[in-house]
Amino acid sequence: MSLRKFIVDWLDLRLGVRDLVEQNLTRYLLPRNINIWYSLGAVLLTLFGLQFLTGFLLLIYYVPDTTQAFASVKHITNEVPYGWLIRNTHAVGSNLIVVVLLLHMLSALFMSAYKKPRELTWLFGFILFNLTLALCLTGYLLPWSQLSFWATTVATEAPGAIPVVGEHVVRFLRGGAMVGEATLGRFFALHVMGLPLLFALMLGLHLFCVRRAGISRPPFGRDYRPAPKRHSFEHEYHPGGIPFFPNYAVKEGAVVCFFLALLAVLVFFAPNLFIPPAAFEPANPFVTPERIKPEWYFLWAYQTLKIFPSEAMGLAVQGAAMTFLALLPFIDRFSERRPARRPLFVGCFVLGILLFIGLSLWGHWS
Amino acid sequence: MDIKADDINRRRVLLGTLLGGLGAVLAAAGVYPVWRFLAPPATDEALDQVTLFRDQVPLGGAHFFNFRGRPAVIIQMRPGDFTAFSAVCTHLGCVVQWQAAEQRFLCPCHAGLFSADGAVIGGPPPRPLERLAVSLRDDRILVG
Ligand code: FES
Repeated sequence: MSLRKFIVDWLDLRLGVRDLVEQNLTRYLLPRNINIWYSLGAVLLTLFGLQFLTGFLLLIYYVPDTTQAFASVKHITNEVPYGWLIRNTHAVGSNLIVVVLLLHMLSALFMSAYKKPRELTWLFGFILFNLTLALCLTGYLLPWSQLSFWATTVATEAPGAIPVVGEHVVRFLRGGAMVGEATLGRFFALHVMGLPLLFALMLGLHLFCVRRAGISRPPFGRDYRPAPKRHSFEHEYHPGGIPFFPNYAVKEGAVVCFFLALLAVLVFFAPNLFIPPAAFEPANPFVTPERIKPEWYFLWAYQTLKIFPSEAMGLAVQGAAMTFLALLPFIDRFSERRPARRPLFVGCFVLGILLFIGLSLWGHWS
Repeated sequence: MDIKADDINRRRVLLGTLLGGLGAVLAAAGVYPVWRFLAPPATDEALDQVTLFRDQVPLGGAHFFNFRGRPAVIIQMRPGDFTAFSAVCTHLGCVVQWQAAEQRFLCPCHAGLFSADGAVIGGPPPRPLERLAVSLRDDRILVG
């Protein structure tokens, strides 16, 4: 105990750590009626940390070369001690992240946390969402399997439908006319360096916004009142709330543990749930496997492209939907946040989810 | 029933020990795979043999090759007379060079000198170069 006190005293004198801990943990109060949906951010932070760690480890053995990539991934999975664990955690983890990310966004939408004054928080979060999808897409190519090769061929083909510049965009993405060595090089660089750096920056901004504005009060309960209109910056305090540490942190820890357990179950008992058989054959640019499909979280986009008579139109609809989502806080400006009093919004919310699920299933079975 | 202060204290210690123990077990479960993942593969060194071809080794010259993960050298002094050494200097571990004109090994780091049969003839190295077993089969040379 005295050693601990000595260390804390030493740090306190220099950095004022006791004050920092009080301000950010023990005396940092959250709304009394805060619910577990608010802990998904912490879950994501943990999962992304795990992706960073496992990705860093995989980098030690992975060879970004079209003649060696597949063999190096196979080597990691089959020969390097615990390579299967590191690799499957990375691959399954990315799928779990998309699930939690969607839940995180849905909860923010449902409780209208994106509304004024938190427009920037939403916007940075939305960019993080897109960066995550880009990380998933670029990571998908790296094992250089039949699945990687053809999924990337399909995905990079899509912008070809844009009038006039389409062909150039495709060439630029691929670094050539076809998916090949040049594509692997640029996707590798993006996946391990470019996107993670951007991601870290956006994450910093997102968290800064969250911390600066203060946690938004869940719009439930009898004593909920919409916040009065504000014209100057004000941190949202919650007097009489519960301390972040230990009260809420413990709850958050429990949710994090739940998702880590889920990840462990998938990694140990169903590692191939998200990995179709084409992932186990080396890429062959001369043979397209049958029934090649993008990952489940891109199925909706894949199906939209197929529904519309022209691909350009499908792309335009997708772009419009994403832009609408990104700018939602600037479009939806009413201050009412209680779902019960926003039937139109809740209706669109439910329809949107059903549309996403419907399109995905359609894309999956077609 | 009222709970006494040292009762609470005892529970705290118990809870702390349990949580600490659980944390240690979980940490070990995470660290062990990472450590194994990073550890270089253990090779069954004793069985590793390197096969070379006779014409790879010039007469009066040396051929450097990789033997069990370390540099090694083989020389042919008289036709058909092959001698192999570990090329790692016995002083501080630099890799020796073959000086064809003088027919000796020079270690560039601290000017250690070895004769063609590995003996120290100058400089700081304390021991002769480690000799490797060589056997001949047709046009091939097996080392190790
Ligand atoms: S290491 Fe070879 S002489 Fe010092």
